[in-house]
Amino acid sequence: MVLNKKYFATYFILFLSISLFSQEKYSALIDTTKVERIEDVIITGQYNQQSVKKSVFEVKVINRKEIEQRAANNLADLLNQTLNINITPNTSTGKSSVSLFGLDAQYFKILIDNVPVINEEGVGNNVDLTLINLDDVKQIEIVEGAMGVQYGANAVSGVINIITKKSSSQKTQLKFYIQEETVGSEFELFDKGRHIQSLKIGHNFTDAIFGNVAYTRNDFGGFWDNSQGEVYDTNDGLRGHQWLPKEQHNAKLFLNYKNERFNLFYKFDYFNEQIDKYNPLVDLNENPATTTSDPLALDEIYTNNRFIHHLNSNGFLSKKINYNISVSYQEQNKDLETYTYRIREDQKSNRQKGEYLSRTALFSRGTFSNLISTNSFSLQAGYELTNERGFGSPLAITISSDENSVKQRLDNYDLFASSEINISDRFSLRPGARISFTNLFDNQHVLSLSSKYIFKNDVELRTVIGSANRTPNYDELYTYFVDVNHDVQGNPNLSPEEGLSAFVHLKKQYVLANEKATLKSKISGSYINVNDRIELIVVEQSPLAFQYNNIDVYKSFGIYSDNSFQYNRFKLQLGVSLLGVSKILDSSINSKDDFLYNFQLNSNINYLVQKWNTSLSLYFKHVGKQHQFVERTNVDGNQEYQKGTTEAYKWLDATIKKSFLNKKIETTFGIRNLLNVSSVGTTAFSGGTHTAAPRDIQLAYGRSYFLKLAYNLNL
Amino acid sequence: MKIRYLKFYFLTFGIIALLISSCSKNESLESDPFVVAFESLSKNLSEIEDIENIVLSYSETALENGTVTIDINTQNAEYGLDFLTIPEAINNSITLDITSGQLENAIVFKKLTNTLDETTEIDFTITTLNYTDSSIQGNSNFLINASASLGGSINAEVGGPNQGNQVFVDLSSQSTVFVQRDSWDLGFYNGDEFRVTINGSIYMATKALTETNIDAVTAADVSSLQSQVAVGTFNPSNAAYVDAPNGNILETAIAEISENNDENTVYLLNLGFEIGTDTPTVGSVDIADNPRGWKKIRILRDGNDYILQYANIEDTNHEEITISKNPDYNLNHFSFNTNSLVDVEPKKQKWDLCFTVFTNILTGAGSYGFSDFVIHNRKGDALAYQVSTSDFVYSDFALSNINQSNFSENQTTIGSSWRDVFNGVANSDRFYILKDPNGNIYKLKFLALTNSDGIRGYPEFEYKLLQ
Repeated sequence: MVLNKKYFATYFILFLSISLFSQEKYSALIDTTKVERIEDVIITGQYNQQSVKKSVFEVKVINRKEIEQRAANNLADLLNQTLNINITPNTSTGKSSVSLFGLDAQYFKILIDNVPVINEEGVGNNVDLTLINLDDVKQIEIVEGAMGVQYGANAVSGVINIITKKSSSQKTQLKFYIQEETVGSEFELFDKGRHIQSLKIGHNFTDAIFGNVAYTRNDFGGFWDNSQGEVYDTNDGLRGHQWLPKEQHNAKLFLNYKNERFNLFYKFDYFNEQIDKYNPLVDLNENPATTTSDPLALDEIYTNNRFIHHLNSNGFLSKKINYNISVSYQEQNKDLETYTYRIREDQKSNRQKGEYLSRTALFSRGTFSNLISTNSFSLQAGYELTNERGFGSPLAITISSDENSVKQRLDNYDLFASSEINISDRFSLRPGARISFTNLFDNQHVLSLSSKYIFKNDVELRTVIGSANRTPNYDELYTYFVDVNHDVQGNPNLSPEEGLSAFVHLKKQYVLANEKATLKSKISGSYINVNDRIELIVVEQSPLAFQYNNIDVYKSFGIYSDNSFQYNRFKLQLGVSLLGVSKILDSSINSKDDFLYNFQLNSNINYLVQKWNTSLSLYFKHVGKQHQFVERTNVDGNQEYQKGTTEAYKWLDATIKKSFLNKKIETTFGIRNLLNVSSVGTTAFSGGTHTAAPRDIQLAYGRSYFLKLAYNLNL
Repeated sequence: MKIRYLKFYFLTFGIIALLISSCSKNESLESDPFVVAFESLSKNLSEIEDIENIVLSYSETALENGTVTIDINTQNAEYGLDFLTIPEAINNSITLDITSGQLENAIVFKKLTNTLDETTEIDFTITTLNYTDSSIQGNSNFLINASASLGGSINAEVGGPNQGNQVFVDLSSQSTVFVQRDSWDLGFYNGDEFRVTINGSIYMATKALTETNIDAVTAADVSSLQSQVAVGTFNPSNAAYVDAPNGNILETAIAEISENNDENTVYLLNLGFEIGTDTPTVGSVDIADNPRGWKKIRILRDGNDYILQYANIEDTNHEEITISKNPDYNLNHFSFNTNSLVDVEPKKQKWDLCFTVFTNILTGAGSYGFSDFVIHNRKGDALAYQVSTSDFVYSDFALSNINQSNFSENQTTIGSSWRDVFNGVANSDRFYILKDPNGNIYKLKFLALTNSDGIRGYPEFEYKLLQ
């Protein structure tokens, strides 16, 4: 039975009414919540963790509360409401790709506790957001703009740093939750919908030793729509799923030891994911003599296994100098199993299993702060090393059929230093530089200069200027598709793309109505420039040959504003953004480099009904029309660059969270994608030689509902 | 409400909500019945020397033992006198065992006399099938007669993903012959005209030079041409360097051989590529390996014979061979591997279709190499056309539905249109009508591009005589 909306409405009302009835007596148990005026404490890019206000960088924080309120299980669930971030799910690989300021996931880095997260296609970059579980996360810090000095290669448009919880105020803390979610209107106990179970136990063994274990299972049944799943023997394109189903398991271990002089922690994270891809093509396998058929399908199973070890020590070397050293070994293997499935007999044959893509990395980063430290000057120096090994099979990367695989070693040895110069109480400067020695490319140099100025009226002005490079990917380096008709080749001599960004932020906080209300306002300007963009270009006309080269330029200008208002238990946030992107395609003739603009608006409203211990939230985001130049054949038969458009769309989520029994039980009910968006029309893609241009992109699967029940036990 | 109840409520709420909102169904699909059927529909008596195996195939591997009964009806032939069968027929009825684990069985037909003529017809009919959940359907009849093959299905042995073979198919005798693609280089036309073709299945290309003295052509003379005289350069003008895909002998890349030797210039000849040897990823092909190099050639006429002069580019002397016309065949094939004539095509009346790698021309892009190509025997006067399943259903299409004006000479009529290489399947929305060199008209439906594991180079089609 598919759960329809009517049933949900019933549940919703039931849930609400019970919530309301049950409240009257227990409201007394609840802490009174004051207007929060405590600033978030941040880590990203800082010498010592400190408040947002003191930071020279502009850091955006998404805290635990919001993660909980939105019942976000992974990063893709969370970030789609964030300004200047666009998430596009890939329905045929099960991955979610993301862009920040119009640049894709190759241009920014995702870190967990300052350490880049491995992915089968990168270390820190190219991360599939659905693989980042949020259950042990304290907060998420987003820094916009090139952070090459602090975080190395590929931090061009920014970094997202996920900060995990590292302590507990309770002796023993147990948290268990289940989350049941529909996928559009689809829901079943096993095959349809999304089912999440999670268990987390934290314990303070002594005052010095804290440990935490966590396990989460996330079973996504895929989006079926009209599709018929695995057991279906008609060749009408309906076999399989519209969105691939997948099942994820994530186990985490955390151990922390601390004393007065230092802190030591070890983290282990194991992630397993299985994606089933049932081929929509059915080979009827007809026997013309007997006029019978025995339908077959060539199916695929992708299995991801990721291991992350992270050992960190931080503390004081001397009275002033503090250090923070992380060593991390990470591995992600994606395997592919293919087989022939005899559909009616439920038999698998010709099973072939092999490595599809994999990567391992040894990473270490150490920073030494306050090497020189006076009231007005402080120096930080650090090192970073990454030894990365990558593997790609011919199924994943187009290579010559006499090659078995692509294997690559990329070693980076980086040194960086920066200093914070406090020229006055109001004015700080932070210059920085990094040099990177690598086995594949020339030595890379990146620079940064940030400043903070606080005007007399408490307006904060920050400028962040930085550079960062993007490392070429395997397709760009190693593609080899040469046969009698084609000549498309990667280029092992590519250089990293060079990114430069400048951001300006003006911020002011107002306290109003006898300190009952606060208003925070921020207006920002962004500029990002990427030179030597890598593009596949024609290097010879006859015989026609293509090769990747460093040739194009990408520029974006943006202006955006973020405002939040809080009055008692009412919070309102409103953001708007206008981003203009220009791509100078020296790779093609007739290309156009006009700026194309995209408008975005996001807003959320949160209200805490203290009497009922219930918080209500609405999250809204509008993504305006997105434009892109695409090469098309015009009416005269000539190639021409035309402006293609992806239609505007809107996200609206509503959640209600209520806790009982002194927060022992927490329930969250919500509706995602209230406006029922599924796909939007687009003319922003050109067709390939052998394929037609897609007319729409699938962004979501329509309105869906979730219910989360959490049980917290503190001993 | 008391705390206890509340706890209870919430612990059970989720579970109940889950249970009532879902139900798991146990899906399973019904299989087709077990069928025993003749692999093909007929055999021409004159093609049987002494013994013919009449194969009965099963729809799936037999899971139990059973029997199938086949009745024999004859016209102008007598069991025991003119022919025999194993197993023996009792009262004109054969009982054949179905053995568990087997996929087929066969009746052995023994011809006893050679006096049987066109009036003879021996009919085998499956009458009973003794097996659980079985059905008599499909090819339940088999005829031994004097007619062209009534139909069946053919797997063309093109050689897997390297597609190393050219497979010549004769529908009327339900037979195939194959040669290795790179076993020949030039085809000398045996018809009235003096024309020479190059081997497009290995992507050869050729260009006329201005020189008429083959020994005078040096490597320096041709070095600037070599990158252009090739297939797949995406330069539309390269179409001039390959034979017209339509198969018209008057549109070969090499001009008509003139009686006037001064008009027969030297040609630069790109020998194309060796056959691929790598195992590509499933669903892909590896057609071409290393380039086979270059030759210079000059072709002259000597009365009704051809004279071929050939040498390596840098040579200052040349070899020469005289090639006489043989009207039984479309072409005489010459190979630089053996420096001699080689056997390639069957006699021109004895093949209808050829599965081959092929040099085609794409509008605006010039020559382009195709795998899985099917050409018909244009030079032997075969004709073909395509029918859409939106106009006719394959099984219903009859002789009366033929539209003579649709028949095309163009040998690429079937071409690559039968397959969808991106999905790795034969297109099921079309079938083809083919008139063979003897005037028999067949309908053809392609069934597969790959084997059941998705590996390319295992084409299969079924066909039926229209009468």
